[in-house]
Amino acid sequence: MKRRNFIKKATLAGAATVGVPYILPTGRLFASSGNPMAEHVVLVLFAGGVRQQESMLKRYLAESQGLDIEGNIMYNMLTGDTPELKIVYGVDTADGQPGGMPIDQILQTPLELQGTLFPEVRYSSGSTGHFAGLTTGVSGHYATTQGLQQRPLHPTIFEYLRRHSDAKATDVWFIGNGINNSTPLLNHSAYPGYGSQYGANFFAPNITFGQQGQDYLKGFKIFHPEEELDPIREMRAFLNHTYMEQGFGIPNLGNTDEEKDDIKAFIKSTFERLENNQVAFPPVVDNGDLSTVGFATEVMKWFKPKLTVINMSAVDSCHSSYTNYLASLHRGDHAIGHLWNYIQTQIPEMADNTAMIVMPEHGRNYNSNSITDQNDWFSFDHDADENSRRIFTMMVGPGIDSNLKVGGVGNPIGDASDVVPTIAEILGIKDNVMNAGLIQGNAMSLFDRI
Amino acid sequence: MSCRQTNMLIFKYMKIRNLLLPLLLCGASLFLHSCKEKSYIYEVNELEVSPNNSDKNKEKTVEQYVAILYANMFQQALSPDQQVDLADLIASIGDKQIAFEAITAKMITDPDIQLPSNEEMRTDVSSFVTDTYRRFFVRNPTEAEKEYFINYIESRPNVTPVHIYFSFATSNEYYYY
Repeated sequence: MKRRNFIKKATLAGAATVGVPYILPTGRLFASSGNPMAEHVVLVLFAGGVRQQESMLKRYLAESQGLDIEGNIMYNMLTGDTPELKIVYGVDTADGQPGGMPIDQILQTPLELQGTLFPEVRYSSGSTGHFAGLTTGVSGHYATTQGLQQRPLHPTIFEYLRRHSDAKATDVWFIGNGINNSTPLLNHSAYPGYGSQYGANFFAPNITFGQQGQDYLKGFKIFHPEEELDPIREMRAFLNHTYMEQGFGIPNLGNTDEEKDDIKAFIKSTFERLENNQVAFPPVVDNGDLSTVGFATEVMKWFKPKLTVINMSAVDSCHSSYTNYLASLHRGDHAIGHLWNYIQTQIPEMADNTAMIVMPEHGRNYNSNSITDQNDWFSFDHDADENSRRIFTMMVGPGIDSNLKVGGVGNPIGDASDVVPTIAEILGIKDNVMNAGLIQGNAMSLFDRI
Repeated sequence: MSCRQTNMLIFKYMKIRNLLLPLLLCGASLFLHSCKEKSYIYEVNELEVSPNNSDKNKEKTVEQYVAILYANMFQQALSPDQQVDLADLIASIGDKQIAFEAITAKMITDPDIQLPSNEEMRTDVSSFVTDTYRRFFVRNPTEAEKEYFINYIESRPNVTPVHIYFSFATSNEYYYY
């Protein structure tokens, strides 16, 4: 009887310990709302406007240029044979044929077979503009009333994660392909109670480590921690003390002094690795998306973030060059193959413990505009026709079913806003996100749509 | 002397006094006015006493920040192209504190930086402190601020102008105007 009572009490105490919220080191109340499926999530926003026809449907030139040539040019992600004619999307051949040699496949098993694919997902509301789409991707809320040069009106997944878990600033990263289209504003919202103190660290690495970085950053002085940094911080604390009383400060993301030093050390190291050709770029790196992903792998290897969001955009060249669009689509797939392979083989702390989600921010029009390129192929815009609301979502990682396809043409399942609760579920904070009531009303975890 | 005579004398005295007193007062008044200028009483409007950095409450734009930082460090103007490049670079880094610190830490490695030597600083610490406040904050230090920095510099032989310039250029007040 005593033993039974002991077991009963111990069970209750254990359950209470698990369920009772505890105070984070930051002073915030934290109650875990679920078991994480993985310790790390990487969201690749395959952005710039991807047409379903050339991606999921593998129609190559068949549903755009009136040529009966089909095939799969994203073979790291999707299954299916490549086109046999008019190959323009690869690298130049030895005899000078532009784009005539497809880039070698990296993943032996396409991600479609390794994970779950939602081939027909809806971007169901608002304009199909890049910033609106990206905002939806990071906040789970359509940016129907939001302008450019304005931070998201609703909290981002970065803020949810930092506020509702023990994630610190360097645990969440947003890697942008550049600084245009207000991209640097996507690392946090201005929503009361969330905001910059829960934001993600951000790099647009093609600039940070590009020519501007080479000119104005490379070789910056690293102060000795005790002999130099301590007095600097003491003096600055004095200067700030008299000023902070009035409530003013430099915008920041709540990185601790140690985290700031770590980020500076990363910047310095990356310049050195760049100089020594050690940055983990994909095998082919001839556009901005590929170099962005290369730098993103460096960030992941250094910080092992809980959440990394990577923004690509090269496919937007489709406004004026369909040929370039095909090449960018092919390179986006190459980048994703490299990223997944690198995580699994070069970052032991993240291998087998990382989920990756790939999703375009919106689609592209069905009908072309009047601009033709070097192959006399027509170009395509994205202005909210029905085709530009068609996207896909692919996910792979621990706890995610392999070789599963959910929905299809004529049976769309999933919404662009679903990606935030999906990430939240993987990282164990779904209830926090859903209970906050700040994502799109119909958004739900993709796991709940299966 | 009879009582009546006595009363008469008093009466005459009072009559004379009544006549003389106004004459004396008029005379004195004329004398005073002829010898002295008018005296004015001045007043001042009420003023709220506050720290002398309290008017700085507007954030500099990134472009303003880099242009002013460059001018403070090199004593010459930043070119428009350099300004755009630096602003883009700062936009490419999410945490502005880190961006400002890294860019400032790069500038101080430039041999063209206009920086007093350690010896010059220690020869006249008081002037160095005042000059530094004027250079970076565009104001004079308060007595307390001056005393703090003089004591700090004199008690720490390893602190150099580089450390002090870096502290000022990356401080909160420097980000406002």
